[in-house]
Amino acid sequence: MNHTLKLTIQRVEGAVIRTLGLIERRGFSVTSINTASDEASPHMEMTLEIHSPQRSVETLARHVEKLFDVSDVHLIAAHAPAAPMKESVAC
Amino acid sequence: MKGAQLLVKALEQEGVETIFGYPGGAIMPVYDALTESPLRHILTRHEQGAVFAADAYARVTGRPGVCMATSGPGATNLVTGIANAFLDSVPIVAITGQVPTGLMGTDAFQEVDIFGMTMPIVKHSYLIRSVEDIPRIIGEAFHVAREGRPGPVLIDLPKDVANAETELAALFEMPRPGTGAADPAQLAAARQLIRSARRPVLYVGGGVGIAGAVPEFRAYAQASGIPVVATLKGLGAVPTRDPHFIGMLGMHGTVAANYTVQESDLLICVGARFDDRATGRLDGFAPNARVIHMDADAAEIGKLRQTDAALLGDLRTALPALPTDLSISDWQRTCRQRKTAHAWRYDAPGDGIYMPDMLRRISAADRDLTITCDVGQHQMWVAQHCQFDRPDQHLTSAGLGAMGFGVPAGIGALIANPGSRVLTVSGDGSIMMNIQELATLRRYDLPLKILLVDNASLGMVRQWQELFHNERYSEVDLSDNPDFVQVAKSFGIDAFRVTRRDEVDGAIERLLHAEDAILAHVCIDPTANVWPLVPPGQTNDVMMEEASA
Ligand SMILES: Cc1ncc(C[n+]2csc(CCOP(=O)(O)OP(=O)(O)O)c2C)c(N)n1
Repeated sequence: MNHTLKLTIQRVEGAVIRTLGLIERRGFSVTSINTASDEASPHMEMTLEIHSPQRSVETLARHVEKLFDVSDVHLIAAHAPAAPMKESVAC
Repeated sequence: MKGAQLLVKALEQEGVETIFGYPGGAIMPVYDALTESPLRHILTRHEQGAVFAADAYARVTGRPGVCMATSGPGATNLVTGIANAFLDSVPIVAITGQVPTGLMGTDAFQEVDIFGMTMPIVKHSYLIRSVEDIPRIIGEAFHVAREGRPGPVLIDLPKDVANAETELAALFEMPRPGTGAADPAQLAAARQLIRSARRPVLYVGGGVGIAGAVPEFRAYAQASGIPVVATLKGLGAVPTRDPHFIGMLGMHGTVAANYTVQESDLLICVGARFDDRATGRLDGFAPNARVIHMDADAAEIGKLRQTDAALLGDLRTALPALPTDLSISDWQRTCRQRKTAHAWRYDAPGDGIYMPDMLRRISAADRDLTITCDVGQHQMWVAQHCQFDRPDQHLTSAGLGAMGFGVPAGIGALIANPGSRVLTVSGDGSIMMNIQELATLRRYDLPLKILLVDNASLGMVRQWQELFHNERYSEVDLSDNPDFVQVAKSFGIDAFRVTRRDEVDGAIERLLHAEDAILAHVCIDPTANVWPLVPPGQTNDVMMEEASA
């Protein structure tokens, strides 16, 4: 099931790739992206549909919020909050 | 003024005193500007040495460490150190030269996309496109590096921007917002949990030192009497000699600390992050405990373990708000008794050098010693057997576990605090990863003491092959090591070798009283192992111990 993340990000070099990179690195796949910006604005609106079989989307949203270029995060989770990771993954 | 001069001025305004670095083509305008600046530049002999030294400098001073390198290979040589700072939450600012903007994207000589390459391991990064942006970017970079949960910031500076003329001199002032207070509802929940706990434990990590909350943490531990366990980075948050301190937890933690955590009914996690080396198998970690998580970083809450109360924000205000009137004397007694029952033993048989005992004696002989470590068995022995009165007495590559950290970290610590006494404990594998930095010690007359623990092997890997790969040893033999005493001497550093137990006291004396840099090459039994050990994938109550013990 997909979650929706609506972000306001600064229109600066690297902001888009940094945001997408973080989302994928933290275990989510991106199934759709929509962006809108107005030439005059220093910001850009980004709406993402994202998906992960296991990871908590609330944790992801908090990671995204920490990005310096991200000014606003709005999460529409597809379900009740997922439990944090339980599997033992360490080597 | 040129962009490079403006950059140097902005660094001065930030209060930077020292830069660790290595020059090259694309960063030459900045090196030129440095000749007219009071900033002190420390030339290491490899960029990895520069970034590790900047990291240790930041850990000791609490201010961002600054390192600098040229484009291409200079920049890529910084990568391991940037990752190290990222995983240990250390504020550093790394400045790299870049090819001129007109050539970027053409595979120019020494062009790599360091901005793109480091994105996953920086807190934030900048590519400066316009000379006018320099003051703002420097101001922001230092602010981002140190605020909240600290971390590395990279600034990539193309050569044409560094050479561009600008009228700008007005420098940028970054507004400094205060840190927030914990949510009152969560605080009330936490207070309730603590009051009703029977077997509470304070699980302390590096965040306490980073937040400058050591006094508040100690005051709370003291007043509440709650037993304390620490992560590798949390050592020293309470003095490790303190009776409330049970030990380090985790893979190479103490038996007492691991059992204490496993039996607890309330874990108060203060500036720690449920790292797998600390928790062992996560679903069996402190299985009956409720959790209060206190941290500066909201993204840590609930990342790996469900929390019952989360206290975000400044630990210095949150800790004093916790209740201290607890009735846990049975639990305290159990914890203390177990600590005594499982105390380390130092009566190893034979006349070979028993490293845990040697390390214990060194730290007993000089309580103010700062110890930097490399990575492997020797690093775990330091964590287990040395005593720390402050977190910044123990500089270790915890999250990344990067061999090669030890000697450059010793350099950074001595530059940060010139009067201090610093010991680097290294291994025969690790020291070779940044052996060239012995030349930096000589150049700046840094009186680093080096204890080189030589087991003629990559000991920690050898131990795992022995225990978990049926003694099938693969590429861990280092019996053809160079003569380390000769190596040190050829760098102009005094050195001596010890091989027998009866030489240990003399060696400690010589090491600790040396006025200049010195290396003690200590040969130990190649088959010595680190105990106890929680095997990978097991819960922390499954601890392997030495067969004969
Ligand atoms: C840069 C790097 N490469 C590889 C490793 C994997 N590794 C962890 S411990 C270790 C052996 C370290 O040997 P040594 O420095 O001699 O220390 P000892 O374990 O023998 O005390 C290795 C290879 C690492 N941690 N860092």
